Amino acid sequence: MPVIEVDGLVKTYGETRAVDGVSFEVQEGEIYGIVGPNGAGKTTIVESVEGLRHPDAGSIRVLGLDPIADRYEITERLGVQLQESRLQDKIRVNEVLDLYASFYRNPADWRDLLDRLGLGSKVTARYADLSGGQKQRLAVALALIGSPEVAILDELTTGLDPQARRDTWETIEEIRRTGVTVVLVTHFMEEADRLCDRIMVIDHGRIAATDTPAGLIQRIGSEQRMRFRPSEPLDDALLTGLPDVTAVTHDGAQTIVTGSGNVVHSVTSLLAQRHVIAQDLRIEQASLEDAYLALTADELVETGSEVR
Amino acid sequence: MAATMKLTRTEGRLFARDPIALFFGLVFPVVLLVALGALFPGFDEPVAELDGGRYIDTYSPIILALGIATLGLVTLPPILGAYRQFGILRRLKTTPVHPVRLLTAQLVVHGLVAIVSAAMAVAGAAALFDVPLPQSPLWFLLSFVLAAASIFAIGLLVGALVRTSVSGQAMGMAIYFPMLFFAGVWIPRTIMGDGLRLVSDLTPLGSTVQALEDSWFGTTPSLLNLGVMAAWAIVASALAVRFFRWE
Repeated sequence: MPVIEVDGLVKTYGETRAVDGVSFEVQEGEIYGIVGPNGAGKTTIVESVEGLRHPDAGSIRVLGLDPIADRYEITERLGVQLQESRLQDKIRVNEVLDLYASFYRNPADWRDLLDRLGLGSKVTARYADLSGGQKQRLAVALALIGSPEVAILDELTTGLDPQARRDTWETIEEIRRTGVTVVLVTHFMEEADRLCDRIMVIDHGRIAATDTPAGLIQRIGSEQRMRFRPSEPLDDALLTGLPDVTAVTHDGAQTIVTGSGNVVHSVTSLLAQRHVIAQDLRIEQASLEDAYLALTADELVETGSEVR
Repeated sequence: MAATMKLTRTEGRLFARDPIALFFGLVFPVVLLVALGALFPGFDEPVAELDGGRYIDTYSPIILALGIATLGLVTLPPILGAYRQFGILRRLKTTPVHPVRLLTAQLVVHGLVAIVSAAMAVAGAAALFDVPLPQSPLWFLLSFVLAAASIFAIGLLVGALVRTSVSGQAMGMAIYFPMLFFAGVWIPRTIMGDGLRLVSDLTPLGSTVQALEDSWFGTTPSLLNLGVMAAWAIVASALAVRFFRWE
C-alpha cells in the first residue's frame, strides 16, 4: 500500500499555478526524491502533504488519511523538517527535544536519537551555538521524535558544507534503515542520485519525469564517451569499424570514442590486440545532473549531445 | 496538558535568559519606584500641587501600569514576531500540539511576571515609603487582571499583525509611549485638564491607573474605568484572533 498518494494536486497563488496537476505515490520504505528548479513547486507539494497548505484541487492521502481533515492523526505519524525554519537562540538541545517529545503519544528516546545523529556531545548546547550541520541534524531529530512512519525533509542540506552534507546523507540512510519512509526535497543531483530509490522531477508545477536515478539517466541516452591518448598511432577506421562505436574524434593527442552498449569492452579489446596502451583513459557517462538539466530545460535540447 | 505545562516552563526559561526582558519586565517597576522616592526630595511628602497628596502615592499605580505596559507592548510583540519569522509557529503546526498553545504559554509567562513584578513594587512602596497595601484588595485584583487582559490583548494583536521581531518592536513601541503619556507618566492624571483626562480614561492604561489608584486607596473603581479596560480586552483579543497568522 502506498504511504503517500497524491492525485491531481493543484495549488494556485494569484495568477500563478504553483502546482498544476501533480500525481504520485510514495511506497513504504523507500526514499522518494522530489527535485526541480527553485520555484518549481516542490515545497508547495510537500507542504500540501503536510497539511500546511490547502490545495485548490486534487486529493491527498497520507497513510490513508486526509492531511486537513485528519490533521491531528497525521501529525502523530508524519515527521516534518521545514525549509527555512529555526528555533529560539537560547533554547538548549535537551530542552527542545524534551519539549517536542511531550507532544507525541509515542515519543522516541531522544538521547538515543541524539547519539545516532552524532549530537550526543551537544545535549546542553544552546541552539545559537550549533553549527549549520548540527542545526540541520537537530531538525532531523525533531522530525523523528514522534517515532513517525514517514518523514518529509525539505532542503535539508542546503547551505551545508560538503562534509556536513555527506554526514547528513548517512543520517538519512540510517533513518531508512529503521523502516521510516523518507520524502526528500532537494536540488542537489548528487544527493538525489546517492540516496533516492525513485525521483520525481518537477518543473513549472508539473511532473517532468518520475523514475529511478538510473532510469532517468537512461532517458537521455546511454551513450558513453572514452577519452584516451594511444601509445601508438591508431587508424580511426579500426575504431569506427567496431559495432558499438558511433563516432571518433580527436582533441590534440587525445582520441575520443563515442558509443553505446559494449563500447568500452570493444575498444579495450581492440587496443589489447594491437598492443596499444590507452594512456590517461577516462570514461564519461551521462550523470543524473545531465538528465535533470535535459528534463528541466526550457527548450528541449538534443539528447545525443548531452553526454559530458 | 503536559505539553502546555512544558511549553510554559520552556517559555519561562527563555524569558529568564533574556536579561533585558528580565530587567524591564520584572524589576524595573520596583527599581523606578525606589529611585524616584530616593532621588527626589519630598517625593514621599504631601505637596500643594496634588491637594495635599504625595507624589509617591500618585506614582505607585502609574508605575504598576507601566510595568504591565512594558510586558504587554515591549516584550510580548517582538517574541511573537520572531516566532512567526523563524517559522516556529509553522513548525508547531506540523506536530500534534497546535501553536495556539505556545501563545497561551507566552501569556501565562507574561502574566506571572506581571504579578511578581507588581507584588515587588507594592511591597517596596509599602516598606520604603509607607504607601498602604491596597485597601480594597478584591477591586484592586480585578483592576489588575482587567489591566493585564486589555494590554496583553493589544500586545497579542500587534503580535498577530507583524511579520518580524523588529516590526513587532517598532509597532509595540509606537503604542507604548502614547499609552504611557495618557497613563500620566509625564503629567499625572490629577493635573490633567478635563478633556485630556477624558481621553486618558478611554485608553486602557489611563483607566488602569485610575482603577488601581481608586482601589489602592479604598475607593470602588468607576464602572467607566473597568468597562474601558474590559472593552479593550474583548475587542483587541477578538481582532487578534481574527487576524492571527501562523506563518
